[in-house]
Amino acid sequence: MTIEEALSKLEEITQNLEKEDLGLEETITLFDEGLGLAATIKEQLEASRLKVEQVLEKTHGTFTLEPLDLP
Amino acid sequence: MNEEHVYTVSELNRLAREVLETGFSGVWLRGEISEMTRAASGHLYFTLKDADSEIGGVRFRSLSSALAPVQIDQGMAVLALGRLTVYEPRGRYQFIASLLQPLGAGELQASIERLKARLNSEGLFDLGHKKPLPRFPRRIGVITSPSGAAFRDVRSVLSRRWPLAELYLFPTSVQGVDAPAELIAALDRATRFSERTEELDVIIFGRGGGSAEDLAAFSDEGVVRAIFACPIPVISAVGHEIDISLSDLVADVRAPTPASAAELVAPECTDLAEGVSLRVEQMTRAVTSKLLNRSERFRRDLRSYLFRIPGRKIETIEQRLDGLMDVLGRRMSEALATRTRRLTRASDLLRLSDPDLPLRRGYSLTFLKGSSEPLRDLSRVEPGSEIETRLEAGRMLSRVEEVIDE
Repeated sequence: MTIEEALSKLEEITQNLEKEDLGLEETITLFDEGLGLAATIKEQLEASRLKVEQVLEKTHGTFTLEPLDLP
Repeated sequence: MNEEHVYTVSELNRLAREVLETGFSGVWLRGEISEMTRAASGHLYFTLKDADSEIGGVRFRSLSSALAPVQIDQGMAVLALGRLTVYEPRGRYQFIASLLQPLGAGELQASIERLKARLNSEGLFDLGHKKPLPRFPRRIGVITSPSGAAFRDVRSVLSRRWPLAELYLFPTSVQGVDAPAELIAALDRATRFSERTEELDVIIFGRGGGSAEDLAAFSDEGVVRAIFACPIPVISAVGHEIDISLSDLVADVRAPTPASAAELVAPECTDLAEGVSLRVEQMTRAVTSKLLNRSERFRRDLRSYLFRIPGRKIETIEQRLDGLMDVLGRRMSEALATRTRRLTRASDLLRLSDPDLPLRRGYSLTFLKGSSEPLRDLSRVEPGSEIETRLEAGRMLSRVEEVIDE
């Protein structure tokens, strides 16, 4: 799941939880799922490191990725 | 010169040529190009003029190759270096230019303005063509010089702000004779890479600051058209705030500098984390109020049922009911605790475990004076009882005036 999908899913769950007619079991299940998503997103945000690649094309149509040495 | 001598036309022209060529061999000439023809031979014939006078000139093809690839056009003010000669067959004197260039940066600007007007009338800058940027870009292409300040800035801003991204650099030169062709090739490479290898969400296209001539490649017609044709959203970021190139106008978004391109291409991940925290609070509020609501309704329904049962049985049943409600309440809090524990462990987002949190939200705790057990019902309270209320900041003592059992 991309972060965008996770965020919109979390939003959807929050809105559903605020509905009046939600049953107890559903409430607990949704809440559980929502908290799990929130934790996953937060973990993803914290664990990410920017990936940097240089794209070279030695022969037409063949791309190679090379790490970039920068000062 | 012999006064008795009668010259032939050829002799006179030849003599005039010698005089002119000796006397005017390295002349700087400034004027406006009024007529211009490119001969099939590659020579360029032109007339230079000012307000009062004009002179014919030529730039031979053999001399053209060393020149900067600047478009010379009719109406353009130019600076020329050359010599005077006489074209003997016609007896016409003319200027032979070895160097011919637009007069100063003002002229470069003017030629960009002319191109801008033309491309604008073609609709290349219309807002209707602008593609929206993705909110959460994953793969970001960067077309710039690998050694320039632009890439360094983009990289450092994004590693702080949006480390979820993957940066793909398509190296190119950004100034000089070859820059336009290289920029066009890099755009083409990025487009094909996106189609065949890794789909790019957005491209940052630009360079750091420089002179007007340094930035000229970003106003090249071919470059502008290549950006227009690019199927991936392009953010143009050329030079400093004040520099506006034609690539800025044709791109889907213009950023004043490469660093600000990196800022507007992605959200701040701490903002996102904050948003997630807010959602968690919102969910917790919704669930808590639902559970409270439910237990109150349950109790109310049972009471109205119990009123219909005669006699002393009620008391017994009410007691048992209280016991049941306690159990139910405990089980609800346990369920909540189990499910919140995972999140609390995973992140510091959720500050639910903090006992002062309700106080920070504006709730308060009430104690019977001298007791450390918070009041949950009226069983220990009567008019005249002294109670202590604990707020987020501070405590207060009050006396109960009335006990209302609803």
